[in-house]
Order: sequence, then C-alpha cells, then structure tokens
Amino acid sequence: MVKDIVRYPTPPSVEFATDVRQFDEALFSLIEDLKDTITENNLDGLAAFQIGSYFNVVVVKDENGEFLELINPRIFTTEGKVTTTETTAYFPGLSAEVTRYDKISLVYQDREGKQHSLQAQGALSILLQRKIDYTFGAHFLSKLSKEEKAKFEKKLEFGADVAISETCPTTFKRDYFPKIANIALIVMALLLVGSLFVGDKAILESMWSAQEYLFATVVLLNIVYFFYAHYEAKRYTSCISCQTGNIIGTMLVSIIKLILIMVISYFLINPN
Amino acid sequence: MARLVVLGGGVSGHTAATFAAKWLGSQHEVVVVTPNSKWNWIPSNIWVGVGQMTKEEVTFDLAPVYAKAGITYKQAKAVSINPEGSESKEKPFVTVEFTSEEQAGQSEEIEYDYIINATGPKLNFGATPGLDAGHTVSVCTADHAVHASEELAKSIEKMKNGERQKFLIGTGHGMCTCQGAAFEYIFNIEHEINKAGVRDMADIKWISNESFLGDFGMGGLHMKVGGYAVSSKIFTESLFTERGVDWLIGAHVSKVEEGRIEYELLDGSTGEEEFDFSMLIPPFAGVGLKAYNKAGEDITDTVFAPNGFMKVDANYAAGSYENWKASDWPKTYQNPTYDNMFACGIAFAPPHPISKPMSSPNGTPINPTPPRTGMPSGIIGKAVAHSICDRILKGENAPLHESSMADMGAACVASAGKGFFDGTAAAMTVYPVVPDFEKYPGTGRDTDYTFGEIGLAGHWIKHILHYLFIWKAKLKAGWTMIPE
Repeated sequence: MVKDIVRYPTPPSVEFATDVRQFDEALFSLIEDLKDTITENNLDGLAAFQIGSYFNVVVVKDENGEFLELINPRIFTTEGKVTTTETTAYFPGLSAEVTRYDKISLVYQDREGKQHSLQAQGALSILLQRKIDYTFGAHFLSKLSKEEKAKFEKKLEFGADVAISETCPTTFKRDYFPKIANIALIVMALLLVGSLFVGDKAILESMWSAQEYLFATVVLLNIVYFFYAHYEAKRYTSCISCQTGNIIGTMLVSIIKLILIMVISYFLINPN
Repeated sequence: MARLVVLGGGVSGHTAATFAAKWLGSQHEVVVVTPNSKWNWIPSNIWVGVGQMTKEEVTFDLAPVYAKAGITYKQAKAVSINPEGSESKEKPFVTVEFTSEEQAGQSEEIEYDYIINATGPKLNFGATPGLDAGHTVSVCTADHAVHASEELAKSIEKMKNGERQKFLIGTGHGMCTCQGAAFEYIFNIEHEINKAGVRDMADIKWISNESFLGDFGMGGLHMKVGGYAVSSKIFTESLFTERGVDWLIGAHVSKVEEGRIEYELLDGSTGEEEFDFSMLIPPFAGVGLKAYNKAGEDITDTVFAPNGFMKVDANYAAGSYENWKASDWPKTYQNPTYDNMFACGIAFAPPHPISKPMSSPNGTPINPTPPRTGMPSGIIGKAVAHSICDRILKGENAPLHESSMADMGAACVASAGKGFFDGTAAAMTVYPVVPDFEKYPGTGRDTDYTFGEIGLAGHWIKHILHYLFIWKAKLKAGWTMIPE
C-alpha cells in the first residue's frame, strides 16, 4: 500500500530506531508498503521512518534497480570521503552538499532474520548512509558542514533551493556586550548579598565604591552595545527578525536589572 | 545475633555493608570480605590514567572506615561458599583466603546467616591472547591507571621529540562491557595531547565491539538534547568527528602483540591495527567462586551461571532476542536456590545482554555485554541490604525490596577532558536502564527522562561527584543523604 511520506517540518519522531525483533507478517507488510511508496513516487529508497514506522528497516534500489531489503542495518567500516549534492524526500525540492564515506561495510538481516553483510561504494553507499541515518533519527542536516548547514537552513526558511549568499548568523559579536554586562550584574548582586554579612563601615564603603564603578561599567557597556549592535545589524539585512527590537529589549532588561540592584544597594550598602 | 557477610567492597558491596551496619546496629554483625585494603572510586580512574589525578585522590583505606561503622573487616578473597554448611558445620559458611601481608596464606571459614555476593568482576585479560602480556594498558584499577598514565607520558614525550604516535583505545574482546570507560579515556587522552601541543602528531582510533557508535552496551539511547531527540549514535559520531578521532566498530580483538592487534569484524573479515599506545578494556567474568553442598559435592553450576556470575531471580530461559522482556531482569537479587544468598553490582548474572546480540558468520559473538555502572550498582546494593535487614529485624517472611534495572533510571557523566575552564563531559540520564518495549513502544525508554548535554558544566558535575561520592563512601557527615 502506498503511504504518505513524512516530510519536513514534521519533526523526527522520538519513537523510531527500534530494532526489529519479530520477523512476521507485520514486518513483511511494512516492507511491501515501502516498495509501493518508492515505486509510486519514483524514489531510490526509503527508511521506515519516512512512512511513519519506527522500525529499523530500509528499502533501497541497488545499481540494477532491484529492491534491497535491509532490516536492522549497521555500518561498521568506512573508507574515504566524498562530497555530493543530495536530495531526500524528507526535504522535497531542496538539496545540500553532503560529505559522506565513499565505501562502507554493513551487516543487516533479511526477512527470515538471517544476517548478511554488504560492501557498498559510490552512489549506493551514499544512499544507504542517508537512509540508515533516518533509522537512527537523523536526516542529512546533522551531516552538513557549518557553512552548508547555515545555507540549507536559509533554503528551508524560504522553501526554495536557491543559493543565498548571505546567511543570518545564529550568534553575533554584539552579544558579548550583554554577556559582560550580565557578569558585572552578577558581581553586583553578590556584593549586595555579601554586604548583609558585613558590619564594618570601611568595608561597606569599599563595597559601595565597587558598586559605583560597576554601575558605570554596565551603563557604558549598554551604550557601546547600542551603537555597535546597530552597526552590526546593518551588515545582516537578510536577518528577518526585528533586530532593532531585540537590541532595545536587551538593553532595557539590562538597565532594569541594574537600576534594581543599584537602588537596593543604595539602601543596604551605602554607609553614608 | 545474626551475621551478614558481604563479599566485596566495591561500590555495590560497600553501599550494602555500610547501610546494613547502620540499620542493624550493634545487635547484629556485618562482615566485609574484600581482597583490597583500599576503596577505589573507579569512575575517576580515567583521570589517574592521564595524570590528572593521583592514586591517593581516588582511593582511601577501608580499615578505619569500617572500624568507625562497626563493620568487621577481613582483607581476604572468598574462594568458596557452602550454602548448606558441611558435615562438620551446621550453618552455611564462606571460605576465605587472607590477602594482607600479615595473614597471607591463612584461610578461614566464616559462618553466616545472610550473604551478599558483591565481588565485582574478574578482569578476564586471559580471554584474548596477548591482552595479559603487558602490550596494552588498562584503567580498570587505580594501579593500572597509574601505569597507563606513565605510558601516556612517554608517548607524549616521543611526540614532542617529533615521533608520530598511534593511539588505539577501546574494548579488547567481542564480549566486553564498559565501553563508557574507554570512551572517557580516549577523549581525555585527546584532551591531554591537545593541551601538550602535539595533537598533530597523534593518530587516535577507537575500536569496539559495538555495532554502532554510541551503543554503550545499552542498545544506544535517544536523548533529548536542547529540546530535540538525538540518537546516541549521531551524538557520538558528531563528537568523534569533531575531535578528529577515527573509529572501528563491530570488532572482536582476537590477538594482541607488541604494537599490533588482530581483529575479526561482524562480516567475518579479519584485519590488524598497529599502535604505539593502547588501552583495551578486558571482558569481565565471575571471580571464580566455587559452591559446595553439605556433602561436599560441587554445586557451582547450581549457584553460578556459566560466566561465573551468581544466579538471582532473573529469567535465564528468555531464549532468543525476540523474546527478551524487561521482566526478565532480576528484582530482588535473591538466589533462586538459597534464599539467604543475594548478589548485587556486577556479581549477579544478567539474564541476557541489553544490546542486540550479534555475531560474525564464523560464530564469534561480537556485542557488548550489559553494563552495571555505579548508580545501579549502588541502588541494588542498598535494596539488597534493606531486604536482608528487614528479614533479620522483622522476621524471615518480611517482603524483599525490589530494584530492577528495568524500572530504574541512571545518570551518567562521561568525561571528555579534564580542566576547570576547558573540561568537557557528557551528562546524560536514561530511564529505564533496560529498555521496556511493552511499556514504552519504540525505543523502550521514556524520552521525558532520557536526556543529555555535553559541555563544561558536565565536567564540573563529574568533578563535584568525585568528591561527593568519596565523602559518602568515607561515611562522613550526611553520607546517607547523598544518593547512590
């Protein structure tokens, strides 16, 4: 029976990748469904996950176009690396440059549960690696280089298999400023708590002085952050999130924390 | 007054003995028989093996701790059990041979009312020809780890002098367990080599009997990482790739020689690997305890499984893989023949592996055997001690406490490099340890409680746990409140 193919953005289920333990009619039926779905959609192979089953089963077409049924496959040796452009039914219409092993050895079971081994090279090797990845809950996104992954995520976002030169980074250099400001705020909070255990006026004066310096540092960091963040935002115009909103929000949170700590410190630490 | 004899003073035996002594008080006697004079926090041995900790930091003397707890301590190894007594002794007894210098060569028959077998494993280096010949190192004991550290230092020195080194780390037999320890060691070595500035001079390779990377003897796991479910295979492969560590899996090491090993793979093919430095975990076996009935006849086969581990309330007749169930795993750890005899930790015979059983076409079994890490071992030891204490204090019909590995979760923190600012460890929890495919169709585990993260915080947790568990084992203030 032809089944619907599981496609992005349906997340990989947490219920796949279980080894087949019962070699029965239900398994044979699953294999036939995989074959029917491959034929109907003119595909080169499918993992059971791709038609909604969590069993560790893969059916692919070999070099001669014959179906190869692999139950509980395991790749145990690999050799050489090769980078090719891959497509998969999970990400219809999209492609990515994926680096995989050129030659692999694997063991698998047949319908009767008998173990076999297989050596594969080239296109079949790549196809098997891609399908076996599904049986362990991964698609080729986890195999991409950092740059290729960023590019592919862009393709996913726009739903088109076009090369996009500029990518939106997940982290920015500007993020260092609020990080440092947060560390300073933690130190201020610690000083505040520590002051509760201090009775000596001279020590309290030193602590208050430190709070003042830290206050000035955090204010300065926020000012620098504001200007640098805007400069950096202009370099990534393709980032669709509201960068100005994010920048202002980050600043506001930091300033509110700072004011709160400083007001409490004024009453608890300031000895004057 | 009843006497409980605990054979073994490792994580499980020590936990059982100390809790039993606390619960029984001075009205009853707890005897610990262990050949070692020191307790060893084994998970930290990997740091000794890379020179980041000393032997003294991971061990302490048992005698003063047992004296404080009111436990009778005998530095000896058990050689046989007479669960029915003998013609001259009415009560059951265990025969021990002393290992301390003062009493070396002496033996004693210790009568008991209850006995816990927590002897741990015999490190079966002899199972692989050449594995016991000193060509490779081990981190299974603190002394082994010290030796490994010295050999590693020599290799690092050679690399500093321009000599390329090949490191081969993993399992030394097709039926090994403890892949986790080897995993930790290979990444700690990679970390140290990196720190020494000679990473470019090192080829590091993993060899194991797993059929996929990340099996760890538990059939792998799916854990939630950052909100996504990730297979341990993908997680582990990513780490190996990121750290430039090559791997060979589905391998049974068949022979070890100076600088080279021979192996057989799951497809029956054979090959060899050369090495300059190698740490290969040996397979485990029972410690070789014998058992005799009242007439003095050998009943070892009745009490122990063929691999030397003690039979408990497990289903040993589960048959082939398709019939395995979570309910096959023992709950009370009571010996089916003698109800005053229990086994815990690594000493009990598991009903079958957790990982999928596999073998080469030549019939060589190549699959991990079930791990029993510190947390399950401690929990089981405590449950067994609880059962025995109830039977002593409340009567022989008191119900037994249960702690099946199929109902138990475990937390594991696997170090991938030690350092206050640059350390890394993978922290993960798994529930249940033994997959229950009936309760949790699919992966057999509850993914809400099976999750993991890798990073610096994981290292800090592992380092804190090191001190915490040694504190607990030394029975210092609040030790009972620290979980197993």
